[in-house]
This record gives sequence, structure tokens and C-alpha cells, in this order.
Amino acid sequence: MTTAGALAGLNVLDVAGTVASGYCGKLFADHGANVVDVEPPEAGFATRREPPFTPNEPPPENSALHAYLSANKASVALDATAEAERLRALARGAAVILDDGRFAAEHFADVAPQVVVSTITWFGRHGPYANHAGTDSVCWSLAGMVRNVGPAQGPPLLAAGCGAQIVGGLAAYVGTLGQVIAREMGNAAGPVRLDTSILEANLCFTETAGVGGYRSGRRGQRLGVNRFAPTYPLGVYACADGWLGVTALTPSQWKNFCGLLGMEQHADTPQYQTAIGRLRDYDLLEPVIKRQVRHRNASDLVRRGQELRIPLAPVPTMAELFTTDQYLARGAFAQVETPLGNTFAAPATPFRLFATPAKAGGRAPRLGEANARLLA
Amino acid sequence: MSRPDLLAGVRVVDLSMGWAGPLAARHLADMGADVIKVEDCVRFDWWRGWEATQEWIDAGGAEKNPAFNMVNRNKRDLTLDLSTPKGGQLLKRLVAVSDVVVENYSAGVLAKLGLGYPVLAEVNPALVMISMPAFGTDGPWSGYRAYGSTVEQASGLPHLSGSPEHPPTMVHVALGDPVGGLNGAAALLTALRAKSRTGLGQHLDLSQSQCLFPLGIQGILTQSATGETPARLGNRSARHAPHGVYPCAGDDEWITIVVATETQWRAFASHAGIAGFGDLADRLARADALDRAVAEFTSGQVAELLSAELQAAGVPAAHAASGLELAGDPHLAARRFWKLMNRDVVGELPHPAAPYRVGEAPFDIDRPAPTLGEHNREVLTGLLGLAEADISALERDGVIGDAPRLPP
Repeated sequence: MTTAGALAGLNVLDVAGTVASGYCGKLFADHGANVVDVEPPEAGFATRREPPFTPNEPPPENSALHAYLSANKASVALDATAEAERLRALARGAAVILDDGRFAAEHFADVAPQVVVSTITWFGRHGPYANHAGTDSVCWSLAGMVRNVGPAQGPPLLAAGCGAQIVGGLAAYVGTLGQVIAREMGNAAGPVRLDTSILEANLCFTETAGVGGYRSGRRGQRLGVNRFAPTYPLGVYACADGWLGVTALTPSQWKNFCGLLGMEQHADTPQYQTAIGRLRDYDLLEPVIKRQVRHRNASDLVRRGQELRIPLAPVPTMAELFTTDQYLARGAFAQVETPLGNTFAAPATPFRLFATPAKAGGRAPRLGEANARLLA
Repeated sequence: MSRPDLLAGVRVVDLSMGWAGPLAARHLADMGADVIKVEDCVRFDWWRGWEATQEWIDAGGAEKNPAFNMVNRNKRDLTLDLSTPKGGQLLKRLVAVSDVVVENYSAGVLAKLGLGYPVLAEVNPALVMISMPAFGTDGPWSGYRAYGSTVEQASGLPHLSGSPEHPPTMVHVALGDPVGGLNGAAALLTALRAKSRTGLGQHLDLSQSQCLFPLGIQGILTQSATGETPARLGNRSARHAPHGVYPCAGDDEWITIVVATETQWRAFASHAGIAGFGDLADRLARADALDRAVAEFTSGQVAELLSAELQAAGVPAAHAASGLELAGDPHLAARRFWKLMNRDVVGELPHPAAPYRVGEAPFDIDRPAPTLGEHNREVLTGLLGLAEADISALERDGVIGDAPRLPP
């Protein structure tokens, strides 16, 4: 009973095939729901054409990104728009349909009376930007996640990756599961369409800046690479053996940081007892910090700093991530298998339910692999 | 209007502080759970302020931080000094009539207070309890002190952004916090679903640094699936051109442009009057010249107008917004994303909507963040059945209160 997975018995269809819907569906699949990717015949989901690609495997089965998103899911090849009746048959009893804006809940009401059609779009289904084209960088730009990053003189720096879509998919998972639970608890009933805006999900990073803008009528200022008000020191510093991540926020952290680095002359300076006061003297303090850590080992500074309750951490490279003690101890990475049998390490679900653990790793399905089993 | 009652009947004891834990509980509150935030008058939520002085307390400082006020709306607030026997006992009584506990103390703190998961699960066997320290509850770093910034550093993600001439580049002052908070909400709802099916509660934990891995998933998988270390490309892309942030008219005004398909390139080149560049391979090979041409085109233009024009032409583009533009964004305004509510001590504050909604209107928000101890009486008498005399005694002994105090 307790090993079936927290979401056992839930049937989920993904007809959207985006990184956001894929990540949302992945959380369902890893926790034991039956998740079926409903992919366009021939080409499959767009995520199959996203890098990185595994060596020596042919498309459309060689995207490591797609395999990561689709592990523990099934795949059918079906034109969801043209073959509406076959889609409805597939949706019989579905708890959730992950959608990109094509389907209303009523469409499935007779076959799936408690269905949550979870529509995930860049900007939401209503409003002036509803039809705008989104990308992760465009979304973060509008969310205020670009302007404050990078050199003071500009240009601001874009973050690599698909953070906006992951956060959107995660927010959709939260909202969707809320609707599912409400139906199981009897707090809600009937088909519903839930509309998640990826932009609004990503305002979780900057909502306070929006409040600040409203109240002050002013904009914040971009301070430089790894410089963010009001916290200082904060940053990534070169050491003899790699990179050191530093944050010192409270007066006691600052005092201990000065002790650790041999810069005691700054520990009790009155204006350095606040983070903002230290930030004002960035030009004076930054070269001192850089000099004091340059020839020391980050691993040693982290260990001794943490003993003094200073939030220091190593900044592992991509290669180092997989051998970092803490991540090994927690099983942070697990093997994902591509449809044709290649395997690679990928992040496991970052939260753990001790009584109903998530699946770690898993195999991704070949395009249309479940057609014979699932399609009438 | 009032907030939805999707999670009506679910009671949450929120022992967490800062950003991540309170945000996790906020999602449950936004969907109708009864969330009771438990603080202490001396060890109050550090996000109210981490540099407390008597002057700051007297000026109402503990109620003013907008960041604190954003993540604690729709909650009630109870003070309890958990280091006293009476405080611990009352917490257990509260847990006995609740479904969920959220905590993000450093590892071992609750256990030392005699209030760890095993103790609370004895009080309430169906309890769902999440512990959300920066690196998880086990492993060599489990006791490490960390903020959202530390979490971003330890996730390795800074090695994916910025240019090679910069140090590994962080993208936020506390990236780990909101992502950890969303994951906390996801974990809690997953466990609540298991509970609704089986009646069983359980302990959960998360690692905030692991929560960040998916945001850089292509970089991580490039390493593990191909054996190659991903390059840091600044604002460039290996697959798209033009791709960057370009200057506009005015002081520190910028536009992000991402041309992702050949159709978009044709639309962009025609709109911008840029000629002389060929297919993607050619544009990638001559990215410096292309970026110069694009910057020449954008530099005299108003960022918000140009992004609207480019979007109308089908080209992904956006101005680089600051908080000021977020507060006034026409799209967010049309969607009623911000709700103005009066908050004691502060006055009018815009409150952001939940990112998911049913229909065109956002989920309503019942109330702004509570003040310290605002609901002491309501919770202690209404929920736990204490008498007025008990409450006076608790106040006298400093177990509860409604004003912050400096440590003795």
C-alpha cells in the first residue's frame, strides 16, 4: 500500500508537449500516476528536438532532455486535434489533461467527469500578451529577472537554461494537484480548466520588486556581476582548488567571516554592521576578500566557515556535481534510460516522501510505443 | 469574493521562516487551507528583519518588510515560545488538530526542543510534515547554514550563465528560495493526496539546492549524456541568432530578442531592415557583426514599443522590466494580477495573484499578512479552548505576545 506512489491511480494525459507540461507531468509520473504523452505522429513532441542529444542514437529518440522529462511515462502517437474521438476515448477516466490552450474541460466532461484540464501557456489565456511569443529569456526579461543581472554598464545577462518553463510547470503541478485533491476530498466537483501563466509563476522571484516599484516609483539599479542589493558580501570567488560561494548577511556572520579570512580590522567597523553599509564600501572590501581567499582552498573555507555558522558553500562545476558528497549521499542523481537503451545520470525528484517514495530515474518511451496497448 | 475553498478543512501549522517555507505554506493558504503561522516574540521570523534594534522595533520595523508581507498573506499568526514547556505543549495541542506542519529550522533544532517529527507524529499519526533545509535532512551538509544565494551557488548553476570572462554568474539574490517554496508546496500536496487515498501521514523533506537542478537541466545533461562540459556563452546561443539583450533609447533601457526560427528571422530582418545575413549557420558564424547590426537598429527605439512591434510581427521579444514596470504592466493589470490591500503599519500594498486560476479572474485573497501574534486569542480560545485566565498567564509569562523583543 505504501510503496505504490503517492499519486497511484491517477491518469494523466499530456497533449501539450512543452518543457513546462513535460516537467509538470514528470512530477506526476515520478510519484506513480499513469502519464501518457499524446504526441504528434512522425515528429513527436517538440522536446524530442531539443538538445542535448545522446551520442550514436537517431532522432526522434536521442534527446536527453526529452528522455529526462518523459521517463516513467507512456507514449502514443495520435493527432490530438484531428482525431478528437480517439483522444476522448484515451481520456476516459482521466484526472488531468496537460494542455497548451487547445482544449476546454467540457470537451472531456462525459468521459472524464472530474477532469482537470491544466492549460499552461507563457502569458495566460487572457490579456494583452496572451498571443505573444514566449521563450525562457523573453519570459524572464518581462518578469524582471534579466535587468538586474550582469555588468553595471550592461548589457544585462540572460540566464542559460529553461528555468522559466520549469518554474511554470512546477506551479502548474501545485495548482493542478490542488484541484485533484479538492475533488477527492469533496471540496469541488466536475470538470475544470486551470490556467497557469508561466510569466506569473516566475513573478515568484520578483514580486517583492514589483511591490517596491509600486511604493517607491523608482527602479532598482544593476550593480554588477554577482552583486545584488541588499546583501553583501555575496558572490562566487576564485580559490586555489575551485570556486567559493559566499553570503554574509547578519552582523555575527560578518564578524565571523572577517575572522575566518584574516580581515579582523573590518569586523567591528560601525557602518559594516549592516549588509547595505558593507555594500556601499564594495570597492574597498571586494579586493580584500578576493585577495584573502585566492590562495586558500574553498573546501577548507567552507568546512571552517560552516563551523562558525557562516553560509559558505562550494560552487561545483557540472562535472563535480555528480561526485559532490552531499549529492551522492542523497541520491540526487539517478540513471535515465533513453528509448533505445542509452543511459545517463539525471536529477531525481528534489523532494522526498519517506512513506511513498518517488521513482528515481526510469526509462523514456519510444514515440508511439503504447499505441497498440492504449489506442482503440 | 473570498479565496477558493479547495483545501477547506486542511489545517497547516507553519513554523517556517524566511522565504521558501512560508511561500510553500502560502500556496496552500491561497487554495483555502487554514494556515497558522507560529512565531516567537524574540525569535520571530527573521525575514521581518535580521538586524533588529530597539529603535527598529519601536518604529514598527518588524511589520514593514514587503518580502515578509508577500509570503504570509491569507495566514493567521500565533506566537509561542517553543523553548518553554508551556509553549511546546500548546504547539502539540495545535498539531493534534492540524494536518500539516511546515518547518525549515536548521537540522536538529526542533528535535532539541522536543518537537521533532517522531514526537509530533505521536501526537497526530496522520500528520504530513515537511522539513525543508537548504540541503536536505541528511548527508554531510545537512547542518549547513544557507540562504537562497548559498543554494544557487551550491547547485552549480552559476557555471552555466555569464561570459567566460566573468566568474560563475548568479542570476538572483536568493534564487533557491522561491523555487524551494514551490517545491515545498508540490511535496505537501503530493503527500496530502496520498493521505486522502490511504489516510496515512508521513514525513517529507526537500533539498533546496536539488530543487534548482531542473532550471539548468540542459547543462547538467550535456555533462552526463554527452560527456562535454557546457560552454558559457554570455547572451549568445549555440542554436539561435540573433539572441541577446540590446540597448534602447533612454537610460539603461534594454530589449531581449530571441530569433528562434527561420520564419522569425525573416520577419525580424524585414522589420529591422537588416540585410546581408543568411541562414542560421551564417548568422552564428558572424554573430558579432549581427549583434552590432541589431544594436544599431534597437538603440534609438523605445523598448516597450519595439517589443510590442516585434511581437506583432511574430518575433519573441520583451523589454527588460524592473520592479517599476512590473507594478504597472498593462498585461498584469488587465489580468488583475495585483490586488491592493491595506496592511496594518504599512498601508496599501499590491499583492500578487496565485499563478494558476480558473476563468479570467485570479483567486481572491482574503487578507494581508498577519501582524505578530495577531490571532493569539482567536486560535488559543477558538481552536484550543483556552480560558481568558490561561491567556493572561501566557502573556504574563512571555509565552505569547504581540510585540517583538530583543534577546535578553
